[in-house]
Amino acid sequence: MAANTGSSRVAIPSFGGKGKLWIGLLVALMAAGIAAWGYQLTTGLIATGMRNVFSWGLYIMMFVLFVGLSAGGLIISSAPKFFHSHRYEGFARLGVLVSLACIIVAGLLILPDIGRPGRIYQFFTSPDFRSPMVWDFGIVLLYGLLNLWYLWLLTRRDLAARGSSLALGFEDTEAGRERDRTLMFWTAAVALPTAVALHSVTGWIFATQVGRGDWFSPLVAPVFIAKALVSGLGLLLIVSVLADRYTNFEVDREELTSLGKILGIFLAFHVVYLLAAERLPHSWADHFEFWAIMSNFLIGDSVYFWLWTVVGGAVPLAMLALPPLRKRVSVIFTASVLAVVGTMFEGIRLVFTGYEVANIDSAPGISLGGEYTGITTDIWATAGAYTPTLVEIAVTLGIIAFGAFIVTLGLKYVPIQRVDAEPSYATDGGKQDQ
Amino acid sequence: MTKHGLVIDQERCIGCQACAVSCKQENNVPMGQFWNRVLTEGGEKMDTPSGGYPEDGGSGSLDMQYQPTACQHCENAPCVKVCPVNATYTRDDGIVEIDYDKCIGCRYCMAACPYNARVFNWDEPEHMPEEGTGDVEARPQGVVEKCTFCSHRVDEGLDPACVVNCPADARIFGDLDDESSTVSKYIDKYETDQLLEDRGTDPNTYYISGEMSPGRPQTSDKMESELDDVSPWSDGDDDVPSKEADSAGGESSGSSHSVEGGEIPYATPAKSGGDD
Ligand code: SF4
Ligand code: SF4
Ligand code: SF4
Repeated sequence: MAANTGSSRVAIPSFGGKGKLWIGLLVALMAAGIAAWGYQLTTGLIATGMRNVFSWGLYIMMFVLFVGLSAGGLIISSAPKFFHSHRYEGFARLGVLVSLACIIVAGLLILPDIGRPGRIYQFFTSPDFRSPMVWDFGIVLLYGLLNLWYLWLLTRRDLAARGSSLALGFEDTEAGRERDRTLMFWTAAVALPTAVALHSVTGWIFATQVGRGDWFSPLVAPVFIAKALVSGLGLLLIVSVLADRYTNFEVDREELTSLGKILGIFLAFHVVYLLAAERLPHSWADHFEFWAIMSNFLIGDSVYFWLWTVVGGAVPLAMLALPPLRKRVSVIFTASVLAVVGTMFEGIRLVFTGYEVANIDSAPGISLGGEYTGITTDIWATAGAYTPTLVEIAVTLGIIAFGAFIVTLGLKYVPIQRVDAEPSYATDGGKQDQ
Repeated sequence: MTKHGLVIDQERCIGCQACAVSCKQENNVPMGQFWNRVLTEGGEKMDTPSGGYPEDGGSGSLDMQYQPTACQHCENAPCVKVCPVNATYTRDDGIVEIDYDKCIGCRYCMAACPYNARVFNWDEPEHMPEEGTGDVEARPQGVVEKCTFCSHRVDEGLDPACVVNCPADARIFGDLDDESSTVSKYIDKYETDQLLEDRGTDPNTYYISGEMSPGRPQTSDKMESELDDVSPWSDGDDDVPSKEADSAGGESSGSSHSVEGGEIPYATPAKSGGDD
């Protein structure tokens, strides 16, 4: 289309009516989020549904989700580069853009959760290196910068060719391409272990805690990796299908189907294998008869469990496995949405399993530090209960809208697609097919 | 080295809540929050036993015990290890304390504490009366707070407020590293538990159940270590309680209950020690 220069193009040359509406919606959500956060800053975290027994809520649940979501793009774009393959080249830039947006959302979600955000600098002035939160802070920061660098590295030659100021004075030269090729390989080589570390460390925030029920399990970190693969790839597929539909970004159908298949494999590994590995020992130990063990193993007990294993696991897995279905874009899209929703509920469930039951629950219990809005006027509780308030929901939506805004701007200003399907570091300047 | 610890004799505890209330007053604890709670182990509700009455074919298994619960001052304290900014730390004398100027309010420590000993100031803390109570400065909104073993009193050689104000002498404070302290002796002699021992947090708070101890040995509000001139354990030569010590009984511990002589510390006369 219009913005087609040389070998690359941006997905959104200019915003049309619908585009402006979309931007308007995002800006409105962000404004509402800022207002809600302002309100929360003046009243304190009493404006949230969190209390002394249930002291982490929606912000942390969504932090966990978005850390996971940030995995897909970076892995899909760096894994092939690492193995010198050109597979999924069409998704590389969009993938890194989505990863970057997600990790920014994750990082921002921590801010409203902090009681005194003005003191965050203490992470630098007085860190305790025993704390998994310090490790996570470091790795989230590193991961964000890595994504930013990678996106720029992937696109700077095209940015330069387009005369964009985002090239930061970089020039597209023959020698430069050669160097970029090496840089990309090394970036990919760093990105993969960083991604693994990011998800493991985020898992260890929970997995190291002896006082919160199921959190204390060595399986949490591997499960976080699996969740990240499932939800991250799911989100990348969702965004690419949407971008294909609403912008000039074009998805290679064959690659899309192939990624859909990979999503199916991730889902099978996560939901079928890891879940079984997690559940079987407990079912076996808690029950005596063969059928009692089996039914406890196969049939979960909570709504969350069903929401994520069946709706977020079994159903999308079936959709992606059945040959007549799995090639349809609509099927891949729906399965991806379900996978992301399933992962979200799994994260929510994890936080609930930690706080729902108090280790010492004798009456009168634990002082809440404020009544549970609308539920009780008592300051005592012997178990945790949590419902997010409108303030929390507004702040969270505002931050997510900011992430969507970043992706939208990326589609507008960063050449997200190479038009010539040529591998970016083979014989450059090859055939021009558009 | 000193390692402060607390022994709570659940057989002596009468569930009067005096420790919970004096803690709240002494430490200016905001409305809606408690650092120290007296829990009822037994029935569903406070002050109710579990089991059935011994009549009309009932099981006669009524059972109830009080478990005063505050920060356990764990040796391997998960709250200290998780605090990203070193706001929660262990003092040299074993007390786990929070530097409220450093705390960013991330509440990771609340997730880490298996005892739910920590509370967070969700809004602007309210005090009754407004100017506050006790000798400790109020904490602001947005930080976590908890029992400090009354470190401000301990630093002045006084026992914690909850210890001094326990009318049943069920709370005994002292130095666990000193073998001759009452706390060490009681842990040695009586059946004691640490809460949630299986979590490996190794609390410095011990609970006596089973046989009743003679309780806190002196009536001053000073710490035992500040009273060494009249230490109940010292008969001049060594620090071991003398076996043939004279008859049992302190004025507050006058238990009907037989404990070998000598194991019972006599009450020292109240010394004029003060808050200020
Ligand atoms: S009881 Fe809780 S707050 Fe106190 S030291 Fe142990 S873990 Fe920390
Ligand atoms: S809430 Fe405060 S004391 Fe607790 S872990 Fe965070 S910074 Fe440390
Ligand atoms: S030692 Fe002090 S702070 Fe701790 S429970 Fe007793 S009175 Fe409260």
